Amino acid sequence: MANITQLENGVVVITLAGELDNHEANQIRAEVSTAIYTGKTNAIIWDLNLLGFMDSAGIGLILGRMRDLAPVNGETLILNPSPTMEKIFQFSGLGDAIRKCTVEQAIDEIGGVVHEK
Amino acid sequence: MKNELTLSFLAIEENEALARMAMTCFITPLDPTLEEISEFKTIVSEAVTNAIIHGYECDGKSLVTIHATIEDRNIKMTVTDEGMGIFDVEQAMEPMFTTKPQMERSGMGFTIMESFADCIRVDSTLGNGTVVTFEKSFSPIIEVSRMR
Repeated sequence: MANITQLENGVVVITLAGELDNHEANQIRAEVSTAIYTGKTNAIIWDLNLLGFMDSAGIGLILGRMRDLAPVNGETLILNPSPTMEKIFQFSGLGDAIRKCTVEQAIDEIGGVVHEK
Repeated sequence: MKNELTLSFLAIEENEALARMAMTCFITPLDPTLEEISEFKTIVSEAVTNAIIHGYECDGKSLVTIHATIEDRNIKMTVTDEGMGIFDVEQAMEPMFTTKPQMERSGMGFTIMESFADCIRVDSTLGNGTVVTFEKSFSPIIEVSRMR
């Protein structure tokens, strides 16, 4: 299950819950992509605090949206993964995007980056 | 403890969750830690998803079979499909390699399985299918009541 919020400054916050596998990723991909392409998205925050399970399909989903953001040099942050998910992100080279903080703190971090540009 | 299970299900994506749930119940008597459960579930999910979407291309009529045995605190498990098989197993196991980038498959499935299992073996024949075998042992139970 994905809860998607588009903020006025071009930040999209995606809160995931339940279990993110191949089947679920296929269910929510279109919805997430639509949100990114409507409006001028320049950053995505994935909040995984409520996510109970994720396998490599989650990597595919997040990498795919990073590719969507590449033309605008968009930033991606991944918040609060479980220890197992964190390992999966590390294996996949996404360790640098992980933050352990609230959505508000992540928005502040991205806001700073957006502001500098 | 000793136990054995065989589970077969149709190659549809909905059964990825079924396989994870069934296998989680199967190991519950071993009283694994949350992280052990979560790593084990991830291995099951990767292997079963591969069988469904690569082995059978989600044909919805062929069967994926899981066979698992528990001995003491070790589980040995095979995930078998009689689907198309893997052209080059070594290449398939490389991180980030995928034959289905259009489906946004990350190519990380085997890397994750290798990392979370104690050992993994992949036997595949083109046109005949694939068997993924892995083993994982769970840490000894710490009896909290005695420690108090």
